Amino acid sequence: MSIRSDPLIGVVRPPHRAASLALWLDRESVFSWLMMTLPLLFLAAFVGYPFVYGILLSLQDRPVAQPGHFVGLKNFIADYHDPIFWRVAINTFVYTAVATLLKMVGGLGLALAMNQHFRMKNLVRAVLLLPFIVPTVLSTVAWMWMLDPAFSVVNRILIGLGWPRPGPSWLGNPILAMCSIIVINTWRGLPFYGITLLAGLQTVPPELYEAATIDGASGWQRFRYVTLPLLQPIILIVTLFSVIFTFADFQLVYVLTHGGPQNATQLFATYAFDIGMGAGQLGLGASVALTMLPALALLIVALTLYLRKQ
Amino acid sequence: MSGSSRRDFLKIALAGAAGATFAPGAGRAAGKTVTFLHESSFIKTFDEYMQNTLAPAYEKATGVKVVYELTSVGSLPTRISTIAETGSGADVTMIFLLYPFLFADKLMDVGDIAEDIGKQQGGWYDAAKEAGIVNGKWKAIPHSNIGQLMNWRTDWFAEVGVKKFPETWEELYEVGKKLKAKDHPFGFELGHGFGDNHGWLYPLLWSYGGREVEADGKTVVIDSDETARAVDFARKFFKDTMLDDVLGWTDVSNNKAWMAEQISCTNNAESILWFAKRDFPEIGKVTDQAQNPAGPKGRFHLLNCIGHSIFNFSPEKEETHKFLRWLMDEKQLGGWYASADSYYQPFLHAYDNAPMWQVEPRNIPYRDAMASAHLPGWPAPPNRQLAEVVAKYVTVDMFAKACAGAATKDVIKSAEAQLKEIYRAV
Repeated sequence: MSIRSDPLIGVVRPPHRAASLALWLDRESVFSWLMMTLPLLFLAAFVGYPFVYGILLSLQDRPVAQPGHFVGLKNFIADYHDPIFWRVAINTFVYTAVATLLKMVGGLGLALAMNQHFRMKNLVRAVLLLPFIVPTVLSTVAWMWMLDPAFSVVNRILIGLGWPRPGPSWLGNPILAMCSIIVINTWRGLPFYGITLLAGLQTVPPELYEAATIDGASGWQRFRYVTLPLLQPIILIVTLFSVIFTFADFQLVYVLTHGGPQNATQLFATYAFDIGMGAGQLGLGASVALTMLPALALLIVALTLYLRKQ
Repeated sequence: MSGSSRRDFLKIALAGAAGATFAPGAGRAAGKTVTFLHESSFIKTFDEYMQNTLAPAYEKATGVKVVYELTSVGSLPTRISTIAETGSGADVTMIFLLYPFLFADKLMDVGDIAEDIGKQQGGWYDAAKEAGIVNGKWKAIPHSNIGQLMNWRTDWFAEVGVKKFPETWEELYEVGKKLKAKDHPFGFELGHGFGDNHGWLYPLLWSYGGREVEADGKTVVIDSDETARAVDFARKFFKDTMLDDVLGWTDVSNNKAWMAEQISCTNNAESILWFAKRDFPEIGKVTDQAQNPAGPKGRFHLLNCIGHSIFNFSPEKEETHKFLRWLMDEKQLGGWYASADSYYQPFLHAYDNAPMWQVEPRNIPYRDAMASAHLPGWPAPPNRQLAEVVAKYVTVDMFAKACAGAATKDVIKSAEAQLKEIYRAV
């Protein structure tokens, strides 16, 4: 017994403190939380704090460099009575919807084209990423020159084709100005869609196409019944990202039109900045920026639920 | 070995971090530093004069180092906001337009310097007091005005028989019609830039007798016959003399159009003449500047005062105060003005006949325009409501909508509704 009891005593004896810590850390529930602590702290500091601070600001009358005081929903009520706010809301929805749709269709086309075999394919793929890589401010300045009637390459072609000089005023006409910023946003965002969808396309097993071909499926049918269903989750995720980026777009409009002419291109982000920074009304500016939140949140929740269901 | 080197590394890293944390404090104690935030000037020699002449001279005389920190054009308001909100970042800053009023709570009263400088250097223009005094206290020491004037092509005006810039808006309109017919249209910004839109639209409104809000700062008076006349004039002025594109212009647009020889007249600061002389000398020779035309109720200009303010939370505010007093002394100030010719128009009468005006006599109208210059929104007192009116482009868009075809009555009603909403709480 004594021979047996010794090792048993050794087993039940509390282990060395370091060893016990190591064992505790080895537990999956502890280790996973430990690994997540840093990212969570990061998110809390750089996403959570500004977000909560933004909400607090929107509920205050808070002039810049002065203490604020709580006013409840007064800022949101002021937004409700502001005609520009509603113009901005419509602009932002139109801008986001049209630009996202164009990017989705164009990006899919781009991905399908890039998925074919041709010479210098890799070089072309790299070049296609350029609009996404070039800093927005720089590319927007280039577009500014291209849309200026005096220098516009588009206007020169149109005038060459018989259009009366100086050609259309791309940024002076409210409708054309909105079309212009949509086109530029599409140009800039297309590579993101294209490359991501291309990555998705390359995961489609070739056997499925072979089987479909043997079954007599046409090119369109192969796309409709093989490619599209398999790409759907990726299309949804890219669309989600794109909607968020487009909805909150700032740089393009700020550089190109600053919301003009007559607020025809003013978006939530630029308008919030003008009120917050230009007029020093931090609370009111935050309230404008925060009105983006419900629409975006709904969209995110809907898409997430849909993906889970899939 | 590896353990000790790791420990050494940690020691060095900790020492470095501690050094980085406490170094500024230690630096201040050893030799004081004044950080001077300034927007990068269009005129490089102006910044160079501070960096290479004034700052070293001050350090030599007092041992206090002046760090002249430049920020890009357009980013200054955001920088000032950040500094005012966080309570650190600079000791003294360039400031302009309505910002002394918005940030007044964070700015030191510099009345003693302003009063002394005024007495020593011929007295202040009234415009300087309008721009620098907040509730009876000088919150900024006005440095200069970057005025907005009429820029006109003398050769093309001569083609239609005009040798002298028209005196009134109506006369200018008649000339503009003829020039547009000869494919030399006018180009006045009606879009959402920062300055070139307000630069002519407020003076136009005032010169017809229109006002947004009374001097009491609460009575909205935009809906008047005077405003209607100004709007009607703007509509025909746009339609018969200008390019359609001006509706979407921002501040760079008229400069580009001028250098492309696309327009014959615009409203701008001196940058057009300056860049034309440097980069397009042939255009520079036929570019001239004139005061804004007069309307039925007089001639007006937009006040674009730049000044300098000390943050009242600065740990070096006493040193900064001494530096600012030194900087505004005639010995330093005269040289600084002269380094930019007359791009910066002094607010002190001692410089009314300074040699700097003779370097480019075409700039003399800037000096003369200061007597009729006012801040945006005048005669309403500058405050947060007014800043909101300006940031929302209420007056600019009132004119722009009319030029794009809307009825005068409608655009005025819309502007009035916006103004009443903004001033509702007052």
